[in-house]
Amino acid sequence: MSQDYTRFTLSQRLQHIFMFVPFIILVLTGFPIKFPESEFWSFVMSAAGGIENARIIHRFAAAIMILDFAYHILYVGYNLIKKRPSLAEMHLLPNGRDGRNIKENLKYFLFMSDERPRFHKFSYIEKFDYWAVFWGMFIMAGSGIILWFPVLFSKFLPGIVIQIAYIAHSDEAMLALLAIIIWHFYNVHFNPRIWPANKVWYKGTLSEEEMEYEHPLELEEIKAREEASK
Amino acid sequence: MPATIYKPSTLIVLIFFLLTSLSVTAQQADAENCNLCHGLALLGIATPADGLRSFEITSDAYSHSTHRNVICRDCHTDINVFPHPEEVAKVQCYKSCHITKPFALTGYSHVEQADAHAISAHGFNPEYSEEKNAAKPDCKYCHSNTFRNVINNEALQESSKHCVRCHEGEGLAGVILHVSSHSGHRTAEASINVVELCSSCHADQGHMKQFDVNLTQVSGYERQFHGKALKRGLNEVANCMDCHRNHLNLPAEDPNSSIHPNNIQQTCSANSYCHSNVSSKFAASAIHSAPTTQNNPILFYVEWGFIILTAGTMALLFAHIFLDFGRWLGDIWMRRKEK
Repeated sequence: MSQDYTRFTLSQRLQHIFMFVPFIILVLTGFPIKFPESEFWSFVMSAAGGIENARIIHRFAAAIMILDFAYHILYVGYNLIKKRPSLAEMHLLPNGRDGRNIKENLKYFLFMSDERPRFHKFSYIEKFDYWAVFWGMFIMAGSGIILWFPVLFSKFLPGIVIQIAYIAHSDEAMLALLAIIIWHFYNVHFNPRIWPANKVWYKGTLSEEEMEYEHPLELEEIKAREEASK
Repeated sequence: MPATIYKPSTLIVLIFFLLTSLSVTAQQADAENCNLCHGLALLGIATPADGLRSFEITSDAYSHSTHRNVICRDCHTDINVFPHPEEVAKVQCYKSCHITKPFALTGYSHVEQADAHAISAHGFNPEYSEEKNAAKPDCKYCHSNTFRNVINNEALQESSKHCVRCHEGEGLAGVILHVSSHSGHRTAEASINVVELCSSCHADQGHMKQFDVNLTQVSGYERQFHGKALKRGLNEVANCMDCHRNHLNLPAEDPNSSIHPNNIQQTCSANSYCHSNVSSKFAASAIHSAPTTQNNPILFYVEWGFIILTAGTMALLFAHIFLDFGRWLGDIWMRRKEK
């Protein structure tokens, strides 16, 4: 009998939701200002109630996203202290296997091999997603807060920091949006093997078949552990 | 009972009174009856040099303009005889006219503004050729007297956005204050129109090339938050004039300039609706020319760093997606071939 395997806990799924809902709102209220002459974004801006409302909504959504990220840092910190995992147990850290997996995947893509790489809990693709958001949060929240209170920050930071924050906020937003709608959406929606969606973000579980296809190495380890505990 | 003043009916009566009094004075301004001839639609001359030149004054346009209360010869001082001489001097805006400044007993003139303009970057420069001086904006280039034309409703609506950034919700008191005087204001003009006006020269590379000025000022402003937010209708942001002043436009090197390093801090916090209590560091961030390796190398490299980071990342991600998709297509194709 096939069994379901927990991939994301309720807390982890909520952290993802509290990240992507503000993300969508931030894009819809931020990009009309990045592209002030675009007709498409004009439509979005008027839907948000004009620039004066959009600025308030943008800051409110930003506050929720920052709180979510702060919660995530505390969550990770708490688990690190409580569980004291070994390096091998910290599955999101990039390691040598990722390099090998990339090589294997390229060979598979180019028909030089028919073996797909056997991923553990997180493939290099998923690790990239995680660390891209991690880096992006510092850039976006850091620059965003500076632009929110430019007079305050320029009391102790040089003026060029405001200009850098402005460029960083605008350009990193573009990178984040492209990475999400092209890369992340391909991997969890548009990939024909996944289409229409990978439902793990709300179900939290993967079936045995899905585990076998996406995370065979992890499944192997889980089964070995089950055998040993019998 | 002072509260009765604020009854809506009083306001309607007041507005009616104001409107009727305006139209009466508009007719009175043509006391010398110039429109007897100049109101004729076909009045004009044909000269070999200028071609056809119309002398028609559309009374509608005139009676709704800012200068509707000024009689013609207050500005056209040369015209003293009839028929008029063939050559007449151009109107000079600094001439005194018979209109009094609100709350003052003196005759009004634009001499203060003209003096500021004369020593500004836009004023006459004896070192320049005649042609180059002529390429600078004179009074009439900016003050075409059409902006505040009340029959132009669209322009008026834009202008009123500028007013409400300070006068929002002031009610009757605000209306009276506004009608009685706006002499203390830089302009009643909508910010977006100010930017458009300045850009008509400063964004014209061909025109500006003859002057020793930065050619990226307008594009730089449009890249910054002020410029972008203004385009999206946020009227409280600074337009050109908020920082560069209206008549005394001086280059940053001039110690009297509003954008001189010593004064810019004051300029940023000059208006209550702008930035209050700014540091000199904040003021130093106000430049808006496109960054280059010379004028702002740090910003230049930050900008290019992000472009390279974005392009590089997306190129790799796209390559991965296409390869992945290609393998999927290939598998389908091979499965069909096997059948």
